[in-house]
Amino acid sequence: MKNKLFPALGVLILISLFVLGACKGRDSEDSELNGPSEVYTGDSFEIRYCSKWHPQAQFSGIYMALEKGFYAQHGLDVKIQKVLQSDAALDSLESGALDVIHLDLLAALQVNADSFRVVNICQIAQRNPVLLVGKRSRGINSISDFAGKKIGVWRTGSNLSTYAFLEDHDLSMEIIPIDWSISLFTEDAVDVINIMCYNEYHQLLLSGIKEEDLFVVDLNALGYSVPDEGLYVTPEFYKAHPEECQNFASATIDGWFYAFSHIQETVSVVLERMRKANIKANKTLQHEMLNEMKKIVLPSTSEIGILKEEDYLRALELLYKMSELQIEMKYEDFYPHATE
Amino acid sequence: MPPSKVDRTIAYQLISFIFTFMLIIFFVSIVVTRIMYSKVMLNIQLDNMRHLVHERVYLIDGILNKVESLSRTFQTLITDHDMKRAELLPLLQQTMRENPQIHSICVADNVFEDEQPLLIYMMRHRFIQRTIAGQDYQYQDWFQIPYISEKTYWTEPWIDTDGKGEMVISYAVPMYIEGDFNGIIRIDIELSYLHGLITDQTFFKKGSSFLVSTTGTLVAHPDMNLVMNQTLFSMAKEYDAPELARLGTAMIAGENDFIKIGDHSPFQNSWIYFQPLLSNGWSVGIAITQSVLMEEVNIILLIQTITAIFIFLAVAIVIYIRAMSVSRPIKKLAEAADHIGAGDFEAEIPRSETSHEIATLSHSFYMMQQSLKAYIQNLQITTNEKNKIRGDVIYASEIQTKLIPQNTEHPLGVKELRAYGILQPAGDIGGDLYDYFLIDEDHFCFVIADVLGKGIVAAMAMTMVSTLLPAIAPYRKSSKELLQELNNFLYKNNIESNFVTAILGVIDLKTGVLEYSNCGHVPLYIRAMDNSLVKYAETHATALGVFENLEIGSDAIQLHLGDEIILFTDGVTEAMNTDEEFLEIKGFEQILSHLPLRNPEYIAKGILRAVQEFARGSSHKDDITILIIDYKHPGIEIGLVAKDNTR
Repeated sequence: MKNKLFPALGVLILISLFVLGACKGRDSEDSELNGPSEVYTGDSFEIRYCSKWHPQAQFSGIYMALEKGFYAQHGLDVKIQKVLQSDAALDSLESGALDVIHLDLLAALQVNADSFRVVNICQIAQRNPVLLVGKRSRGINSISDFAGKKIGVWRTGSNLSTYAFLEDHDLSMEIIPIDWSISLFTEDAVDVINIMCYNEYHQLLLSGIKEEDLFVVDLNALGYSVPDEGLYVTPEFYKAHPEECQNFASATIDGWFYAFSHIQETVSVVLERMRKANIKANKTLQHEMLNEMKKIVLPSTSEIGILKEEDYLRALELLYKMSELQIEMKYEDFYPHATE
Repeated sequence: MPPSKVDRTIAYQLISFIFTFMLIIFFVSIVVTRIMYSKVMLNIQLDNMRHLVHERVYLIDGILNKVESLSRTFQTLITDHDMKRAELLPLLQQTMRENPQIHSICVADNVFEDEQPLLIYMMRHRFIQRTIAGQDYQYQDWFQIPYISEKTYWTEPWIDTDGKGEMVISYAVPMYIEGDFNGIIRIDIELSYLHGLITDQTFFKKGSSFLVSTTGTLVAHPDMNLVMNQTLFSMAKEYDAPELARLGTAMIAGENDFIKIGDHSPFQNSWIYFQPLLSNGWSVGIAITQSVLMEEVNIILLIQTITAIFIFLAVAIVIYIRAMSVSRPIKKLAEAADHIGAGDFEAEIPRSETSHEIATLSHSFYMMQQSLKAYIQNLQITTNEKNKIRGDVIYASEIQTKLIPQNTEHPLGVKELRAYGILQPAGDIGGDLYDYFLIDEDHFCFVIADVLGKGIVAAMAMTMVSTLLPAIAPYRKSSKELLQELNNFLYKNNIESNFVTAILGVIDLKTGVLEYSNCGHVPLYIRAMDNSLVKYAETHATALGVFENLEIGSDAIQLHLGDEIILFTDGVTEAMNTDEEFLEIKGFEQILSHLPLRNPEYIAKGILRAVQEFARGSSHKDDITILIIDYKHPGIEIGLVAKDNTR
């Protein structure tokens, strides 16, 4: 592993320079982001994209890139498709009904366990957003208090780090597989629940639970720093359209920069999309979500959009530890931008 | 006294004074009313809100309780009576028909025996039955929470995608057969139904009512943008209104209370009363804005203010009319007074019976007018008489003037003498006298006299003297004889017992001897050519007309060429200046020393001018008489004298 590290590091620096070059001045010169600086004159390339969840500030980068014409600027005609859960989204990707999908890093690695099916074109999250929370009123004041209690864990998706945490801390808990609802927790049907720091955590706070009433475990801070969501395409698609993939990533990052520097406008755009989708649209929650996403997407300006090799390796390590899967896949193959 | 410049009328002053006073009273009254009514009205309105919320809570709880009771019934039928779906179905349909508020019913029995849940709902008046495929339902709140907690559960609002896709709330009852979990029976109520009950305008017209779930979510509110999109806590954050978070905490804690919400939120400046539903722990609230709450108080205040304005206007008009009825006669009286002041004593004095004071004032004015008329009539009579007397006096004065010799260069043509006399009475006529006449060809007689007193009597006495002396002179050639004769005449004929001082002299034109007598008169002066002045102060008797047969002496003086005989009355020496000092003999002599030119007219006028100068500004007035006689001896050369005294 060590002898691979140096060339990988070199590649990483090159990628960083590439991305930084693409993002030059974007966080300080907003005026350039307000409209296309170079209008693409050729035929636009259609990309069909599907997010992994209903419209919310979690996908602000995509919305703002679309809204502000950053995709069009790169000659891309991005079409946002109906939301599909990861399996259905993968099927659509494989069948060619979709071009780009949202996947968690661990899920994407798991997908590739059997055969090589997805490659990462842009790593949006740079940290693990999963928190474990328990009510102090239910006697949860430390990690050791978890023992013997009920914990709600997502039955699909980003649950591996939670399981790894429970295993590492030798916590015997009754696992309650859950979907997305936090009612189990608010109704005290479970004592501990896994949540996303940008979403459910704030839902809890906005339902009248106070921060001081919660005992919170930040898995990322405890070393389970496996970044989650990224943008994925099939290797074939990537091979056929590497430039379009890079442009899509670059424009999405522009969208994120714009979103972070125009919070109010972005929240309005998100709320509008939520209303159109006929789902609950809470302005305060979306505001908080966008602020949290900034910590996740943009911990520092040099890290945006990049899948770092150490994160990749850490994810693989976690995957090996928590499953029987054997994945023979190089970092450069999984994240082809690294070799560009 | 100039007319007053104050232009504020009595009416104006009364109205402004009363207005200020009333304004203070009304202001205080409005403030007190506002404070007191506000509290009373607030309490009444809050009580009203409390009753309304009670009523709504009972209504909704009644509906939810019925759903709970029906659910338990079905649960009993399934678990205790082992009723199968086929038998249960007609019952479920009948229940839904009788209870239109029920949106759908889901029977999820025998879930672990691979039986799929059965969902019944009505669409276009037909019952639809369908089974829910897959296992995902087991991860939905309605199933998972009662399953895990082993308790009945009222869900938060959720969208039933397996049914009609509406937002519903569900009551879920876990079923156990012989202690083993068998499944869930669930009854759904459409959220819009509850929303309708809460936002029903007939329920509460003046404010907005709302429903909050156990997560603080607004599940019913007149503003549909808020419904399901906002929690009280997210609104607290969005609008920076911490009181909304307090409201949320209290509502989800199942409390009932009043809370005042500030300006910055959809519940702007409102009072909110809330009370929990007993069935699912949700909370019903009513919000009413402060302005609506205070509407009735404001109406009362408005009425009060309008009443106050009307009262003020009425009082002002009454005062104005009354004040005008008082001030009008005063104004007319003032006009009448102006006419009287201008001399129209016949001006009519207005009579007023509006008040005792005005009537008294009118009467006083009338009496004053009558008195003035009488006074002016008397004054006119007196003035006429006075004018008549004055005419007589002026005539007398003219006569008196004519009795005095006219000044000529040589008196009576006597070449040896020059004389000049001045008689200036203090009034129209005087009591002084000077005269000269020839007794015969050689004897020139002159007299200067001063009758004690002034006016007519003195003038009469003076007239007697001036007519008597020339008449008796041819028979009494000496000065003392002439004066004795005059004294006796005056004594006998003097009605007022006036006495007369006099100097009478007789100049023998041949010898130049002056024989003279001084009866109580001021001194006689003789100034020689060398300007030496000799005063002859000796008197030869007392004043004339006091004692009968008065012994009178005389003196003789030899006049020399160019001697000036200077005669005057006490009006000269007793002339008074503004410091009330007399001129006296000394002052007279000083005047003479400043008159060097030897000419009787020049000296007489010079003396008069100097005396007048001395007495200028003084109120003291007396007759002034001056007589200067310049003697020239007949033996001298005319040319010499003429050379010195060229006229």
